[in-house]
Amino acid sequence: MLKLILPVIFPSWRFFSSIGPSPRIHIAFLQHENDEPDAWQEFRARPAKVSLKNGLWRLLHNPEWNETLYINTCVERLFEGYSEMREREIMRRILAAIHNGEIRAEADKPYVTYRISAVIREGQVISQQVTFVATPVLLSELSEKGAA
Amino acid sequence: MLLEQAVRYSEIILALAYAQQSIEFIRGLQPERTWGVIRLVLSLLLLMGFQPVLVEAGLLIVACVLLYRFQGPYNGGSDCMSILVLLCLFLSHIAPSPFWQQLALGYLAFQLTFSYFQSGYIKIINADWRSGQALADVFAITAYPVSEHARRWAKSPQLMFVMSWSVIVFELLFPLSLLNRYALIVALAIAAMFHLANACLFGLNRFFWIWPAAYPIILWFQSRLMAS
Repeated sequence: MLKLILPVIFPSWRFFSSIGPSPRIHIAFLQHENDEPDAWQEFRARPAKVSLKNGLWRLLHNPEWNETLYINTCVERLFEGYSEMREREIMRRILAAIHNGEIRAEADKPYVTYRISAVIREGQVISQQVTFVATPVLLSELSEKGAA
Repeated sequence: MLLEQAVRYSEIILALAYAQQSIEFIRGLQPERTWGVIRLVLSLLLLMGFQPVLVEAGLLIVACVLLYRFQGPYNGGSDCMSILVLLCLFLSHIAPSPFWQQLALGYLAFQLTFSYFQSGYIKIINADWRSGQALADVFAITAYPVSEHARRWAKSPQLMFVMSWSVIVFELLFPLSLLNRYALIVALAIAAMFHLANACLFGLNRFFWIWPAAYPIILWFQSRLMAS
């Protein structure tokens, strides 16, 4: 616990000290657990624009965005090394997004998986590499993981 | 500003910031939803000034539970500042003498000042920040920009250069504002605008609410510094 508390009491304020690999999450639905996904969709893709009204509202209340920032923190920890807790946290939140209708599941595909890509700039070229693919999960596990 | 006034103003802003964070948790998953409800109730009690020592102790316990739950801060720097403000206010209440009380609040004033200075320092020693490339990468690559429209800002190198240097100069000069009360008020107003811009462009709304919670303390600290 001390390991968690000390960095908060003696914090480092090195915001954006260097711009490392940036995470992107894509999800896919599968018919069978071992299928290769045929289509990936970006999880919480950015909108084209945010209106002034929405911007003001988000200043007061933006739970989804802050959850996405937390998911990105989990992903950055996965970049550093595998953690079952972080993998589970991300899946749990994807399942919740499916459960609450934010993401539409496909009727004939009862499994969902996600992959993590790292976006990096090398010279003038921006590239994206897949670094992690999660173990598929049955959507029927929603009540246990997502909606819990 | 008197110490007691500064503490009370700080508690009011902290209570509002915590209420804002708690309502966001209530919209989320369990168990943070339950902790969000508990923290919202405690925040409202703090807002009313009801038993601040007990209420702040309760909020500290919730903060530890959430740190354990997420194995670190849920929302990075904003969580760190939230806990720091809370801890320093709590310590100022239970301090055995005015010396320790002032030390607790002085530490918060130091951390607030350092949060800007260190952030500016790590940028100025980085060639990519000095050229504007790092900020362009923040817009082009990272997951922070709130929209594709905001992401396009990366395509203007001159804008990135000017914005980078504006931020670097402001952050590095912030400690000097402690030398004059009016300079500090202006610096805090600029800092609040900076957090507003971060909230609008990168969705960092929690920073916008929590950093000002430490502003009354730094105003008190500055007057204390000048008096001595």
